[in-house]
Amino acid sequence: MHRALRGEFRVFLTVENTECVMKMGGYGDVQMIDEDGKRVDGRGPGDLRPIEIEVGVVPVADGSASIRWGANYAIATVYGPMEAHPRKISRQERAVLDVRYNMAPFSTTDRMRPGFNRRSREISKVTSDALESVVQLELYPRSKIRVEIEVLCAEAGTRCVGLTAASVALADAGIPMTDMVVSVASGKINGVVVCDLNKEEDNYGEADLPMGVLPNTGDLVFLQMDGDLSPEEFQQAWDYNVNAAQAVHEIMVAALADRYGGGE
Amino acid sequence: MANPLVPGLLRDHLSELADRDERVDGRGQWDGRELTIEVNPLPNAEGSAKVTMGDTIVFVGIKFQIQTPYPDRPNQGGLMTSAELRPVAGRHYEPGPPSPESIEMGRVVDRGIRESGCLDVDALCIIPGEKAWQVIIDCFAISDDGNMFDAFGLAAIVALKNAIVPAERFDVGEDYPLPISLMPIMCSYHKVGGRFVYDASREEEVGGDERIHITLGDDGHVHSLQKGLKGVFTAAEFDEIMTAARQRVSELQEIVNNL
Repeated sequence: MHRALRGEFRVFLTVENTECVMKMGGYGDVQMIDEDGKRVDGRGPGDLRPIEIEVGVVPVADGSASIRWGANYAIATVYGPMEAHPRKISRQERAVLDVRYNMAPFSTTDRMRPGFNRRSREISKVTSDALESVVQLELYPRSKIRVEIEVLCAEAGTRCVGLTAASVALADAGIPMTDMVVSVASGKINGVVVCDLNKEEDNYGEADLPMGVLPNTGDLVFLQMDGDLSPEEFQQAWDYNVNAAQAVHEIMVAALADRYGGGE
Repeated sequence: MANPLVPGLLRDHLSELADRDERVDGRGQWDGRELTIEVNPLPNAEGSAKVTMGDTIVFVGIKFQIQTPYPDRPNQGGLMTSAELRPVAGRHYEPGPPSPESIEMGRVVDRGIRESGCLDVDALCIIPGEKAWQVIIDCFAISDDGNMFDAFGLAAIVALKNAIVPAERFDVGEDYPLPISLMPIMCSYHKVGGRFVYDASREEEVGGDERIHITLGDDGHVHSLQKGLKGVFTAAEFDEIMTAARQRVSELQEIVNNL
Protein backbone atom coordinates (compact mmCIF):
# COMPACT_ATOMS: atom_id res chain seq x y z
CA MET A 1 0.00 0.00 0.00
CA HIS A 2 2.64 2.54 1.06
CA ARG A 3 5.02 1.37 -1.61
CA ALA A 4 2.42 1.74 -4.33
CA LEU A 5 1.57 5.21 -3.14
CA ARG A 6 5.20 6.18 -2.95
CA GLY A 7 5.69 4.95 -6.48
CA GLU A 8 2.96 7.23 -7.68
CA PHE A 9 4.44 10.18 -5.84
CA ARG A 10 7.82 9.64 -7.33
CA VAL A 11 6.57 9.58 -10.89
CA PHE A 12 4.37 12.55 -10.22
CA LEU A 13 7.18 14.53 -8.69
CA THR A 14 10.08 13.72 -10.91
CA VAL A 15 8.23 14.03 -14.20
CA GLU A 16 5.36 16.46 -13.84
CA ASN A 17 6.24 18.57 -10.85
CA THR A 18 9.77 19.47 -11.70
CA GLU A 19 8.65 20.59 -15.14
CA CYS A 20 5.84 22.51 -13.55
CA VAL A 21 8.20 24.21 -11.18
CA MET A 22 10.52 25.16 -13.99
CA LYS A 23 7.77 26.47 -16.27
CA MET A 24 5.71 28.28 -13.72
CA GLY A 25 8.51 29.81 -11.74
CA GLY A 26 8.27 27.77 -8.69
CA TYR A 27 7.27 27.30 -5.25
CA GLY A 28 3.55 26.96 -4.63
CA ASP A 29 2.60 26.65 -8.29
CA VAL A 30 2.44 22.86 -8.36
CA GLN A 31 -1.02 21.38 -8.66
CA MET A 32 -1.42 19.10 -5.65
CA ILE A 33 -5.23 18.93 -5.33
CA ASP A 34 -7.41 17.69 -8.19
CA GLU A 35 -10.89 18.94 -9.23
CA ASP A 36 -12.62 16.54 -6.82
CA GLY A 37 -10.61 17.89 -3.89
CA LYS A 38 -8.47 14.72 -3.73
CA ARG A 39 -4.83 14.98 -2.69
CA VAL A 40 -1.87 13.32 -4.47
CA ASP A 41 -2.17 10.25 -2.25
CA GLY A 42 -5.95 10.04 -2.71
CA ARG A 43 -6.88 11.49 0.66
CA GLY A 44 -9.56 14.11 1.24
CA PRO A 45 -8.45 17.39 2.88
CA GLY A 46 -9.31 16.26 6.42
CA ASP A 47 -7.92 12.71 6.23
CA LEU A 48 -4.96 11.34 8.16
CA ARG A 49 -2.41 8.97 6.64
CA PRO A 50 -2.61 5.34 7.85
CA ILE A 51 -1.08 4.97 11.33
CA GLU A 52 0.18 1.85 13.09
CA ILE A 53 1.67 1.85 16.58
CA GLU A 54 3.39 -1.03 18.33
CA VAL A 55 4.38 -0.98 21.99
CA GLY A 56 7.42 -2.67 23.56
CA VAL A 57 9.48 -3.14 20.40
CA VAL A 58 12.90 -2.65 22.06
CA PRO A 59 13.41 -5.41 24.62
CA VAL A 60 16.38 -3.80 26.40
CA ALA A 61 14.56 -0.49 27.05
CA ASP A 62 12.30 0.36 29.99
CA GLY A 63 9.68 1.58 27.56
CA SER A 64 9.48 1.68 23.77
CA ALA A 65 7.16 2.16 20.83
CA SER A 66 7.41 2.08 17.07
CA ILE A 67 5.14 4.04 14.81
CA ARG A 68 4.41 3.82 11.11
CA TRP A 69 2.64 6.96 9.95
CA GLY A 70 2.30 7.05 6.18
CA ALA A 71 5.83 6.17 5.07
CA ASN A 72 7.29 7.60 8.28
CA TYR A 73 8.82 5.03 10.57
CA ALA A 74 10.15 6.02 13.98
CA ILE A 75 11.17 4.26 17.16
CA ALA A 76 11.18 5.82 20.62
CA THR A 77 12.80 4.32 23.70
CA VAL A 78 12.73 5.39 27.34
CA TYR A 79 15.39 4.58 29.93
CA GLY A 80 14.88 5.44 33.58
CA PRO A 81 14.17 6.96 35.97
CA MET A 82 17.89 6.48 36.60
CA GLU A 83 20.69 8.28 38.40
CA ALA A 84 21.16 11.78 36.98
CA HIS A 85 24.53 11.80 35.30
CA PRO A 86 26.56 13.99 35.03
CA ARG A 87 25.82 15.11 38.57
CA LYS A 88 25.60 18.80 37.66
CA ILE A 89 22.36 18.29 35.69
CA SER A 90 20.59 16.76 38.69
CA ARG A 91 17.77 18.74 40.35
CA GLN A 92 16.88 18.58 44.04
CA GLU A 93 13.13 18.66 43.55
CA ARG A 94 12.47 16.81 40.29
CA ALA A 95 13.75 14.51 37.58
CA VAL A 96 15.39 15.90 34.45
CA LEU A 97 14.16 14.81 31.05
CA ASP A 98 16.89 14.14 28.49
CA VAL A 99 15.26 14.04 25.06
CA ARG A 100 17.04 13.38 21.78
CA TYR A 101 15.49 13.41 18.32
CA ASN A 102 17.64 12.04 15.52
CA MET A 103 17.28 10.97 11.92
CA ALA A 104 19.12 7.83 10.79
CA PRO A 105 21.48 8.38 7.83
CA PHE A 106 19.29 6.21 5.56
CA SER A 107 16.00 7.83 6.62
CA THR A 108 15.93 10.37 3.79
CA THR A 109 16.22 10.25 0.00
CA ASP A 110 19.71 11.76 0.06
CA ARG A 111 21.86 10.29 2.80
CA MET A 112 21.95 12.35 5.96
CA ARG A 113 25.33 12.85 7.61
CA PRO A 114 25.25 11.22 11.05
CA GLY A 115 25.35 13.42 14.10
CA PHE A 116 23.45 16.35 15.52
CA ASN A 117 22.59 19.38 13.47
CA ARG A 118 20.76 22.61 14.31
CA ARG A 119 17.44 21.21 13.17
CA SER A 120 17.59 18.06 15.27
CA ARG A 121 18.74 20.05 18.30
CA GLU A 122 15.79 22.40 18.02
CA ILE A 123 13.34 19.54 17.59
CA SER A 124 14.87 17.74 20.57
CA LYS A 125 14.35 20.87 22.64
CA VAL A 126 10.73 21.55 21.70
CA THR A 127 9.91 17.85 22.11
CA SER A 128 11.47 17.95 25.55
CA ASP A 129 9.51 21.09 26.44
CA ALA A 130 6.28 19.38 25.35
CA LEU A 131 6.94 16.18 27.31
CA GLU A 132 8.10 18.06 30.44
CA SER A 133 4.65 19.62 30.52
CA VAL A 134 2.97 16.26 31.09
CA VAL A 135 5.53 13.97 32.77
CA GLN A 136 5.23 14.15 36.57
CA LEU A 137 8.91 14.87 37.09
CA GLU A 138 8.46 15.92 40.73
CA LEU A 139 7.88 12.27 41.63
CA TYR A 140 11.53 11.43 40.89
CA PRO A 141 13.86 13.95 42.56
CA ARG A 142 17.55 13.87 41.53
CA SER A 143 16.97 11.39 38.74
CA LYS A 144 17.01 11.40 34.98
CA ILE A 145 14.60 10.02 32.39
CA ARG A 146 16.08 9.50 28.94
CA VAL A 147 13.86 9.66 25.86
CA GLU A 148 15.40 8.70 22.52
CA ILE A 149 13.55 9.27 19.26
CA GLU A 150 15.05 7.74 16.12
CA VAL A 151 13.51 8.39 12.72
CA LEU A 152 14.36 5.44 10.47
CA CYS A 153 12.28 6.51 7.48
CA ALA A 154 11.12 10.07 6.95
CA GLU A 155 8.13 11.33 4.99
CA ALA A 156 7.16 14.76 6.44
CA GLY A 157 5.93 15.38 9.95
CA THR A 158 8.71 13.46 11.68
CA ARG A 159 8.70 15.76 14.72
CA CYS A 160 4.99 15.00 15.27
CA VAL A 161 5.52 11.30 14.67
CA GLY A 162 8.47 11.27 17.09
CA LEU A 163 6.66 13.18 19.83
CA THR A 164 3.64 10.86 19.56
CA ALA A 165 5.87 7.77 19.71
CA ALA A 166 7.74 9.19 22.72
CA SER A 167 4.45 9.62 24.61
CA VAL A 168 3.55 5.98 24.02
CA ALA A 169 7.06 4.85 25.02
CA LEU A 170 6.81 6.86 28.27
CA ALA A 171 3.48 5.20 28.99
CA ASP A 172 5.05 1.81 28.25
CA ALA A 173 7.83 2.63 30.73
CA GLY A 174 5.20 3.29 33.39
CA ILE A 175 6.24 6.92 33.87
CA PRO A 176 3.31 8.88 35.40
CA MET A 177 1.93 11.54 33.04
CA THR A 178 -1.07 13.82 33.25
CA ASP A 179 -1.87 12.92 29.64
CA MET A 180 -0.19 11.58 26.48
CA VAL A 181 0.87 14.21 23.97
CA VAL A 182 -0.59 13.65 20.49
CA SER A 183 1.05 15.58 17.73
CA VAL A 184 -0.27 16.30 14.24
CA ALA A 185 0.59 18.87 11.56
CA SER A 186 -1.90 20.49 9.22
CA GLY A 187 -1.16 23.05 6.57
CA LYS A 188 -2.12 24.59 3.26
CA ILE A 189 -1.52 23.49 -0.28
CA ASN A 190 -2.84 25.24 -3.42
CA GLY A 191 -4.88 27.47 -1.11
CA VAL A 192 -6.66 24.49 0.45
CA VAL A 193 -6.21 23.71 4.13
CA VAL A 194 -5.33 20.02 4.58
CA CYS A 195 -4.75 17.74 7.54
CA ASP A 196 -1.51 15.78 8.10
CA LEU A 197 0.80 16.99 5.32
CA ASN A 198 2.70 14.38 3.32
CA LYS A 199 6.15 14.90 1.84
CA GLU A 200 5.09 16.61 -1.38
CA GLU A 201 2.60 18.84 0.41
CA ASP A 202 5.25 19.74 2.96
CA ASN A 203 7.76 20.59 0.21
CA TYR A 204 5.46 22.56 -2.06
CA GLY A 205 2.83 23.76 0.43
CA GLU A 206 2.21 27.27 1.67
CA ALA A 207 1.93 26.62 5.40
CA ASP A 208 2.71 24.04 8.09
CA LEU A 209 1.17 24.06 11.57
CA PRO A 210 2.42 21.26 13.85
CA MET A 211 0.69 21.04 17.23
CA GLY A 212 0.94 18.87 20.34
CA VAL A 213 -2.49 18.34 21.88
CA LEU A 214 -3.50 16.77 25.19
CA PRO A 215 -6.51 14.73 24.12
CA ASN A 216 -8.19 14.57 27.54
CA THR A 217 -8.37 18.34 28.05
CA GLY A 218 -7.78 19.79 24.58
CA ASP A 219 -4.84 21.79 25.99
CA LEU A 220 -1.68 22.38 23.97
CA VAL A 221 1.94 21.72 24.90
CA PHE A 222 3.65 22.06 21.52
CA LEU A 223 3.06 24.60 18.79
CA GLN A 224 5.05 25.69 15.77
CA MET A 225 4.05 27.26 12.49
CA ASP A 226 5.59 28.58 9.34
CA GLY A 227 4.08 29.88 6.14
CA ASP A 228 1.03 31.98 5.40
CA LEU A 229 -2.52 31.39 6.69
CA SER A 230 -5.53 33.72 6.78
CA PRO A 231 -7.44 33.83 10.09
CA GLU A 232 -10.08 31.47 8.64
CA GLU A 233 -7.48 29.07 7.25
CA PHE A 234 -5.64 29.13 10.55
CA GLN A 235 -8.82 28.19 12.42
CA GLN A 236 -9.48 25.35 9.96
CA ALA A 237 -5.94 23.95 10.33
CA TRP A 238 -6.20 24.25 14.10
CA ASP A 239 -9.52 22.36 14.13
CA TYR A 240 -8.11 19.65 11.86
CA ASN A 241 -5.24 19.11 14.29
CA VAL A 242 -7.45 19.00 17.39
CA ASN A 243 -9.82 16.51 15.77
CA ALA A 244 -7.04 14.38 14.30
CA ALA A 245 -5.41 14.23 17.73
CA GLN A 246 -8.49 12.46 19.07
CA ALA A 247 -8.31 9.88 16.27
CA VAL A 248 -4.56 9.30 16.81
CA HIS A 249 -5.11 9.05 20.56
CA GLU A 250 -7.48 6.14 20.00
CA ILE A 251 -4.75 4.32 18.07
CA MET A 252 -2.24 5.02 20.86
CA VAL A 253 -4.60 3.70 23.55
CA ALA A 254 -5.43 0.64 21.44
CA ALA A 255 -1.70 -0.11 20.98
CA LEU A 256 -1.14 0.07 24.75
CA ALA A 257 -4.24 -2.03 25.41
CA ASP A 258 -2.93 -4.52 22.88
CA ARG A 259 0.16 -5.00 25.00
CA TYR A 260 -1.27 -4.72 28.48
CA GLY A 261 -4.94 -5.65 28.08
CA GLY A 262 -7.78 -3.48 29.31
CA GLY A 263 -8.39 -0.33 27.31
CA GLU A 264 -11.85 1.18 27.28
CA MET B 1 30.08 3.77 25.94
CA ALA B 2 30.05 3.76 29.71
CA ASN B 3 32.44 1.23 31.13
CA PRO B 4 30.25 -1.24 32.98
CA LEU B 5 31.38 -2.34 36.40
CA VAL B 6 31.92 -6.05 36.11
CA PRO B 7 30.72 -7.72 39.26
CA GLY B 8 32.93 -10.60 40.27
CA LEU B 9 29.74 -12.50 41.06
CA LEU B 10 28.70 -12.56 37.40
CA ARG B 11 32.14 -13.77 36.32
CA ASP B 12 32.11 -16.51 38.94
CA HIS B 13 28.62 -17.58 37.93
CA LEU B 14 29.53 -17.72 34.22
CA SER B 15 32.64 -19.66 35.04
CA GLU B 16 30.72 -22.24 37.10
CA LEU B 17 28.23 -22.64 34.25
CA ALA B 18 31.07 -23.11 31.75
CA ASP B 19 32.57 -25.86 33.92
CA ARG B 20 29.25 -27.71 33.58
CA ASP B 21 29.13 -27.01 29.82
CA GLU B 22 26.14 -24.68 30.31
CA ARG B 23 25.33 -21.11 29.38
CA VAL B 24 23.44 -18.45 31.27
CA ASP B 25 20.41 -18.61 28.93
CA GLY B 26 20.45 -22.40 28.54
CA ARG B 27 22.10 -22.54 25.10
CA GLY B 28 24.83 -24.93 24.04
CA GLN B 29 28.37 -23.65 23.40
CA TRP B 30 27.91 -23.17 19.64
CA ASP B 31 24.17 -22.35 19.57
CA GLY B 32 22.99 -19.01 18.26
CA ARG B 33 19.92 -17.19 19.49
CA GLU B 34 16.68 -17.17 17.53
CA LEU B 35 17.31 -15.33 14.28
CA THR B 36 14.86 -13.39 12.13
CA ILE B 37 15.71 -11.35 9.04
CA GLU B 38 13.41 -8.78 7.46
CA VAL B 39 14.23 -7.62 3.93
CA ASN B 40 13.78 -3.96 2.88
CA PRO B 41 11.79 -2.65 5.84
CA LEU B 42 12.95 0.94 5.14
CA PRO B 43 11.55 2.43 1.91
CA ASN B 44 13.87 5.46 1.84
CA ALA B 45 17.00 3.31 1.83
CA GLU B 46 18.05 1.80 -1.52
CA GLY B 47 18.34 -1.53 0.26
CA SER B 48 17.78 -2.42 3.90
CA ALA B 49 17.53 -5.24 6.39
CA LYS B 50 16.41 -5.71 9.96
CA VAL B 51 18.12 -8.50 11.87
CA THR B 52 16.87 -9.77 15.23
CA MET B 53 19.03 -12.16 17.24
CA GLY B 54 17.30 -12.79 20.56
CA ASP B 55 16.90 -9.33 22.08
CA THR B 56 19.51 -7.74 19.79
CA ILE B 57 17.89 -5.73 16.99
CA VAL B 58 19.73 -3.83 14.25
CA PHE B 59 18.94 -2.12 10.97
CA VAL B 60 21.26 -1.64 8.02
CA GLY B 61 20.43 0.79 5.24
CA ILE B 62 22.26 1.19 1.94
CA LYS B 63 22.57 4.62 0.32
CA PHE B 64 24.35 5.66 -2.88
CA GLN B 65 26.22 8.84 -3.73
CA ILE B 66 28.10 9.88 -6.83
CA GLN B 67 31.74 10.77 -6.26
CA THR B 68 34.84 11.48 -8.30
CA PRO B 69 37.00 8.33 -8.35
CA TYR B 70 40.36 8.49 -6.60
CA PRO B 71 43.11 9.57 -9.04
CA ASP B 72 45.02 6.29 -8.60
CA ARG B 73 41.87 4.22 -9.23
CA PRO B 74 39.93 6.10 -11.92
CA ASN B 75 37.82 3.06 -12.83
CA GLN B 76 36.58 2.19 -9.36
CA GLY B 77 33.66 3.15 -7.19
CA GLY B 78 33.83 3.26 -3.43
CA LEU B 79 32.48 1.52 -0.36
CA MET B 80 32.00 3.09 3.04
CA THR B 81 30.68 1.46 6.19
CA SER B 82 29.69 3.24 9.34
CA ALA B 83 28.20 1.85 12.51
CA GLU B 84 26.23 4.01 14.89
CA LEU B 85 25.68 2.95 18.46
CA ARG B 86 23.24 5.62 19.49
CA PRO B 87 21.84 5.90 23.01
CA VAL B 88 18.50 4.54 21.80
CA ALA B 89 19.95 1.03 21.87
CA GLY B 90 20.83 0.58 25.50
CA ARG B 91 20.93 1.93 29.01
CA HIS B 92 24.73 1.98 29.05
CA TYR B 93 25.12 4.13 25.92
CA GLU B 94 25.80 7.82 26.11
CA PRO B 95 25.44 10.51 23.48
CA GLY B 96 28.56 11.93 21.94
CA PRO B 97 31.01 11.45 19.12
CA PRO B 98 31.44 7.91 17.70
CA SER B 99 32.98 5.63 20.32
CA PRO B 100 36.08 3.54 19.56
CA GLU B 101 33.80 0.48 19.83
CA SER B 102 31.44 1.71 17.12
CA ILE B 103 34.36 2.65 14.85
CA GLU B 104 35.87 -0.80 15.31
CA MET B 105 32.50 -2.39 14.52
CA GLY B 106 32.06 -0.41 11.32
CA ARG B 107 35.57 -1.19 10.18
CA VAL B 108 35.36 -4.92 10.89
CA VAL B 109 32.06 -5.19 9.01
CA ASP B 110 33.60 -3.14 6.17
CA ARG B 111 36.64 -5.39 5.86
CA GLY B 112 34.61 -8.58 5.64
CA ILE B 113 32.54 -7.20 2.79
CA ARG B 114 35.33 -5.36 0.98
CA GLU B 115 37.90 -8.16 1.09
CA SER B 116 35.47 -10.87 0.05
CA GLY B 117 35.15 -9.10 -3.30
CA CYS B 118 31.38 -9.59 -3.24
CA LEU B 119 31.00 -6.04 -4.51
CA ASP B 120 32.57 -5.42 -7.91
CA VAL B 121 34.04 -1.93 -7.49
CA ASP B 122 34.87 -1.71 -11.21
CA ALA B 123 31.17 -2.10 -12.01
CA LEU B 124 30.47 0.97 -9.87
CA CYS B 125 32.30 3.26 -12.28
CA ILE B 126 30.01 5.44 -14.41
CA ILE B 127 32.49 7.64 -16.30
CA PRO B 128 36.18 6.71 -15.73
CA GLY B 129 38.00 9.43 -13.82
CA GLU B 130 34.84 11.48 -13.45
CA LYS B 131 31.89 9.72 -11.89
CA ALA B 132 31.52 6.58 -9.83
CA TRP B 133 29.08 5.25 -7.28
CA GLN B 134 29.92 5.30 -3.63
CA VAL B 135 28.01 2.62 -1.75
CA ILE B 136 27.38 3.55 1.87
CA ILE B 137 26.46 0.91 4.43
CA ASP B 138 24.96 2.49 7.54
CA CYS B 139 24.65 0.14 10.50
CA PHE B 140 22.16 1.30 13.09
CA ALA B 141 21.46 -0.43 16.41
CA ILE B 142 18.02 -0.32 18.01
CA SER B 143 18.46 -2.82 20.84
CA ASP B 144 21.84 -4.06 22.11
CA ASP B 145 21.73 -7.39 23.90
CA GLY B 146 25.17 -8.46 22.74
CA ASN B 147 27.00 -9.55 19.58
CA MET B 148 26.22 -6.50 17.48
CA PHE B 149 29.07 -7.43 15.12
CA ASP B 150 27.31 -10.49 13.69
CA ALA B 151 23.96 -8.72 13.54
CA PHE B 152 25.50 -5.83 11.57
CA GLY B 153 27.49 -8.15 9.32
CA LEU B 154 24.46 -10.23 8.43
CA ALA B 155 22.14 -7.24 7.97
CA ALA B 156 24.77 -5.57 5.76
CA ILE B 157 25.07 -8.43 3.29
CA VAL B 158 21.28 -8.94 3.17
CA ALA B 159 20.74 -5.21 2.56
CA LEU B 160 23.41 -5.16 -0.17
CA LYS B 161 21.90 -8.16 -1.92
CA ASN B 162 18.55 -6.37 -2.03
CA ALA B 163 19.79 -2.91 -2.98
CA ILE B 164 18.73 -1.06 -6.12
CA VAL B 165 21.18 1.43 -7.65
CA PRO B 166 19.15 4.67 -7.96
CA ALA B 167 20.55 5.67 -11.36
CA GLU B 168 17.35 7.40 -12.50
CA ARG B 169 17.34 9.76 -9.55
CA PHE B 170 20.92 10.81 -10.35
CA ASP B 171 20.21 11.03 -14.10
CA VAL B 172 22.75 8.38 -15.10
CA GLY B 173 20.60 5.68 -16.69
CA GLU B 174 18.08 3.18 -15.42
CA ASP B 175 17.81 1.72 -11.93
CA TYR B 176 19.30 -1.74 -11.59
CA PRO B 177 19.90 -4.22 -8.77
CA LEU B 178 23.34 -3.92 -7.17
CA PRO B 179 25.27 -7.01 -8.33
CA ILE B 180 26.48 -9.00 -5.32
CA SER B 181 28.19 -12.21 -6.36
CA LEU B 182 29.52 -13.73 -3.13
CA MET B 183 28.36 -13.96 0.42
CA PRO B 184 30.71 -13.06 3.28
CA ILE B 185 29.30 -13.91 6.72
CA MET B 186 30.74 -12.96 10.09
CA CYS B 187 30.73 -15.23 13.13
CA SER B 188 31.85 -13.96 16.53
CA TYR B 189 33.10 -15.92 19.51
CA HIS B 190 33.52 -14.58 23.03
CA LYS B 191 35.52 -16.15 25.80
CA VAL B 192 33.09 -16.64 28.67
CA GLY B 193 34.02 -18.49 31.83
CA GLY B 194 37.29 -19.64 30.26
CA ARG B 195 35.95 -21.06 26.99
CA PHE B 196 34.75 -19.64 23.70
CA VAL B 197 31.03 -19.48 22.94
CA TYR B 198 29.17 -18.40 19.80
CA ASP B 199 26.80 -15.38 19.71
CA ALA B 200 27.33 -14.05 23.23
CA SER B 201 24.53 -12.16 24.90
CA ARG B 202 25.29 -8.83 26.54
CA GLU B 203 25.47 -10.50 29.95
CA GLU B 204 28.14 -12.85 28.61
CA GLU B 205 30.01 -9.96 26.99
CA VAL B 206 30.06 -7.98 30.24
CA GLY B 207 31.20 -10.99 32.28
CA GLY B 208 33.53 -12.39 29.62
CA ASP B 209 36.96 -11.68 28.16
CA GLU B 210 38.34 -11.42 24.64
CA ARG B 211 36.34 -11.84 21.46
CA ILE B 212 37.25 -13.09 18.00
CA HIS B 213 35.42 -12.18 14.81
CA ILE B 214 35.79 -14.35 11.72
CA THR B 215 34.40 -13.48 8.31
CA LEU B 216 34.23 -16.34 5.84
CA GLY B 217 33.09 -16.15 2.25
CA ASP B 218 32.20 -18.73 -0.37
CA ASP B 219 34.03 -22.09 -0.29
CA GLY B 220 35.31 -21.39 3.22
CA HIS B 221 37.70 -18.59 2.23
CA VAL B 222 38.78 -16.38 5.12
CA HIS B 223 38.30 -12.66 4.51
CA SER B 224 38.69 -10.88 7.81
CA LEU B 225 39.69 -11.57 11.37
CA GLN B 226 39.65 -9.38 14.43
CA LYS B 227 40.60 -10.07 18.01
CA GLY B 228 39.14 -7.60 20.47
CA LEU B 229 39.56 -6.85 24.18
CA LYS B 230 42.12 -8.07 26.67
CA GLY B 231 42.84 -11.78 26.71
CA VAL B 232 45.07 -14.63 25.57
CA PHE B 233 43.99 -17.52 23.39
CA THR B 234 45.76 -20.63 22.15
CA ALA B 235 46.16 -21.92 18.61
CA ALA B 236 44.05 -24.94 19.61
CA GLU B 237 41.21 -22.68 20.75
CA PHE B 238 41.37 -20.81 17.45
CA ASP B 239 41.20 -24.09 15.52
CA GLU B 240 38.12 -25.04 17.47
CA ILE B 241 36.23 -21.83 16.75
CA MET B 242 37.33 -21.82 13.11
CA THR B 243 35.74 -25.25 12.72
CA ALA B 244 32.57 -24.02 14.43
CA ALA B 245 32.58 -20.90 12.22
CA ARG B 246 32.81 -22.90 8.98
CA GLN B 247 29.76 -24.88 10.02
CA ARG B 248 27.74 -21.83 11.10
CA VAL B 249 28.66 -19.74 8.04
CA SER B 250 27.32 -22.37 5.65
CA GLU B 251 24.08 -22.55 7.66
CA LEU B 252 23.70 -18.78 7.55
CA GLN B 253 24.51 -18.62 3.83
CA GLU B 254 21.69 -21.05 3.21
CA ILE B 255 19.30 -18.98 5.34
CA VAL B 256 20.19 -15.80 3.41
CA ASN B 257 19.91 -17.57 0.05
CA ASN B 258 16.43 -18.78 0.95
CA LEU B 259 15.09 -15.37 2.00
